[in-house]
Amino acid sequence: MSTVDSSAKRSALAPLGKPFAIAGGVLAIVAALLPWVTFSLNDGNWPDKSTLQFFDAPFLVTGFRWHLLVLGVLVLIAAFAPIPSRGRVVRALGWGVALVSFVNAAYITVKGGGLGAITALDGATAFGGVVGIVAGVLVILAGYGIGVEPVQDWNVKVSTPVAYLVLLVSFGAVLYAVAAMLTTGGVGTANPYAGAIFLSFLGFAAGLLAALSGVGFVRWLSALSEQHRVFSVIVLAACALLLPFTEAGNEYWMTVAANIGIYAATAIGLNIVVGLAGLLDLGYVAFMGIGALVAANFSGAATAHFGITLPFPVAAVIAAIVAGIFGAVVGSPTLRVRGDYLAIVTLAFGEIFTRSAQNNIGGITNGSNAIPGIPALSLFGAEFNRSISIGAVKLPAGVLYYILIVLLVAATMAVFANLKFSRIGRAWIAIREDEDAARAMGIRTGKMKILAFLIGAMLAGLAGAVFAHKNGTVSYESFKFLESVTLLAAVILGGMGSIPGAVLGAALLFVLPEKLRDFEEYRLMIFGLALILIMRFRPQGLIPDRHRRAELANEDVGGAPVDEVHVGPKEAKA
Amino acid sequence: MSTPVLEARDVSMVFGGLKALKGVTLTLDEGKIVGLIGPNGAGKTTFFNCLTGLYTPTTGQVLLKGNVLPGDPAKVTDAGVARTFQNIRLFPSMTVLENVMVGRHVRMKQGPLASLFHGPSYQKGERAARERSRELLSFVGLNNLDDELSRNLPYGDQRRLEIARALATDPAVLLLDEPTAGMNPQETEATQQLIFRIRETGVSVVVIEHDIKFIFGLCDSVSVLVQGELLVEGSPEVVRADPRVVEAYLGKPPEEVQHDVEAAAAAEEEQA
Repeated sequence: MSTVDSSAKRSALAPLGKPFAIAGGVLAIVAALLPWVTFSLNDGNWPDKSTLQFFDAPFLVTGFRWHLLVLGVLVLIAAFAPIPSRGRVVRALGWGVALVSFVNAAYITVKGGGLGAITALDGATAFGGVVGIVAGVLVILAGYGIGVEPVQDWNVKVSTPVAYLVLLVSFGAVLYAVAAMLTTGGVGTANPYAGAIFLSFLGFAAGLLAALSGVGFVRWLSALSEQHRVFSVIVLAACALLLPFTEAGNEYWMTVAANIGIYAATAIGLNIVVGLAGLLDLGYVAFMGIGALVAANFSGAATAHFGITLPFPVAAVIAAIVAGIFGAVVGSPTLRVRGDYLAIVTLAFGEIFTRSAQNNIGGITNGSNAIPGIPALSLFGAEFNRSISIGAVKLPAGVLYYILIVLLVAATMAVFANLKFSRIGRAWIAIREDEDAARAMGIRTGKMKILAFLIGAMLAGLAGAVFAHKNGTVSYESFKFLESVTLLAAVILGGMGSIPGAVLGAALLFVLPEKLRDFEEYRLMIFGLALILIMRFRPQGLIPDRHRRAELANEDVGGAPVDEVHVGPKEAKA
Repeated sequence: MSTPVLEARDVSMVFGGLKALKGVTLTLDEGKIVGLIGPNGAGKTTFFNCLTGLYTPTTGQVLLKGNVLPGDPAKVTDAGVARTFQNIRLFPSMTVLENVMVGRHVRMKQGPLASLFHGPSYQKGERAARERSRELLSFVGLNNLDDELSRNLPYGDQRRLEIARALATDPAVLLLDEPTAGMNPQETEATQQLIFRIRETGVSVVVIEHDIKFIFGLCDSVSVLVQGELLVEGSPEVVRADPRVVEAYLGKPPEEVQHDVEAAAAAEEEQA
């Protein structure tokens, strides 16, 4: 996307910007009201031909109509209201309209056996899908016509109470969105449309988020939350603790959310190594495996190697320490290699771990038989995997695990944030930016790198200990190369060096496959495609860290678009 | 005579078959500015790298206040020798203030635990470092740019930021590698004033530079390095007047060259 290219587009489209936006917005609303399919699919609950009751179930089958209506109205508002970087906002909304329309139209076409399903068949007409796609394209073009200007920084300073209120409302909205994302379309196998509904909702959410980001709100909010770090973490944790009380409060989603949490905590640890210190680690999940194995062996499971049963907190601390020692041990010989070579060494370490574990080295891993029967945690007699009731409120099974893991993630976040904004964190970032210059500033790069490996591995070990008890079984199969890559993808996808990014990345990477079960063999293909698209259009990650944004986004902080994307040697490998 | 702040004794550096430095000796007295000039490829930057521990000299040693410097850049900086780079090497994606605070790293004491828990003593140290960094930024003339990313600064400001970052390590000796490369006359003049002010704070300075006029106006003493050897050393007046320096830079006058060519031709004829 060169500057010349986009300015040429702008000149041809400039006079058409506003008319296109208005036409597209109106068409999106019309599409929301039109019938979408010429006949009833399967059991007939695919959007019937005439229903307009789309407000009562925003996250069910007909929800996409409601989403389209919202997007259409927003396009019209954006066309008239005096907002910053209007073109960028309009374009984002256009992508939302186009994606929602395309996902639904494509799904109906495939399931309905041809284009007749979304045009005219047997005397019935249903042009909703076509109109929706046209509307989306029009609005995207309108965005280019108005001119896609760089995101502007808001210089709005607010007093602390107002900032708290804004953060509270925003994080509340995030909680609502997460609950919606988890529950849209219901549990994978129960609803035949779950995958399509989820993708459609994702399109809607992406459009809205991109529009908010385009207008500069996201950047402002992240600056605000960085300013009020402690408050943000507390509110975020509180929001997460409220999740069991929402629609997502059932055993299935508690389990999924707890798994996401474990991987999110691990991803944050990896973020220290990769995002801050810039050390590409491809065998990171091994540390989680070491933590899990240590915890399993001290858990009192029948096949545990050590006969002693330690209380969970003690076992968790030992797991973290052992993993940390391994981290430092692996870190030391890698000090002499950089970049690609470091990645290869860590990859080899990961492989050594899996092979050793597979072959039951020292009798502590139990090889391919795994270590089953790890007892569930319990606190004051309440077992973590049972459901509990507090007064009249009955909470789903697994909720205590969920709470434990939320606390774990919050603690990891605090560790990351405190380290990042400290003498040590600055030294790590300096090493990432220019190792020789960092040494010339008196930073003992060797010690600092080992420290990064050690702390990252400890966090992974801790997460592994929780993992062991949560799942009840520890097998080397859970800690293979693919898991390391997925974790790395979570870090990069979310935005390197950014905390909310790591959580969002982990959530997407572990929810998406769950949600896409519907597409069976195409699942991984769609997943890979989504990753490629995100990296193409947002190389800095979904919620980038301020520094990374400047480095990888297609813009200067000063505002002028820059032609080439700056990809430093470290990023190129990722 | 007092001990010099920095003393390079007979420093040689050999890369494979290439003798980059051949027994260079240099002394820097406290509160002085020494200039290091020489044609491209004379070994100036190699010499700097030996002074800062990036290279370990093949023979010879470098002493700071009479103590031999360790062969590790981080330890050298800790001991009190700071440097800037010929091609600016800031941390591009860190802010201006953060760049200088990285320079404070070596004078701060917080370890991993303090960094993790952010206790009162941590807060105090952090605040002090921030204040000192702001002070240095205004000393080099970069005010109100704290939160700007260093990559976005104009070229001249980046040079000054690099100097502020080096000063943040509280050095006894500051090594500047071509601090005015690519600057216009006004900026060069400002840099000269800045270096004088740095000397006033008690820091001794070694400067590599191609701009002869700048060097002669700035330095108390100038050393000329040619093909890895120290050619001349002395006050600007002495160095300026030395014919060997003129020859190293401009070559020999035409008549001498003519003479040389004839001599060579005669020698060849004799052999034949």
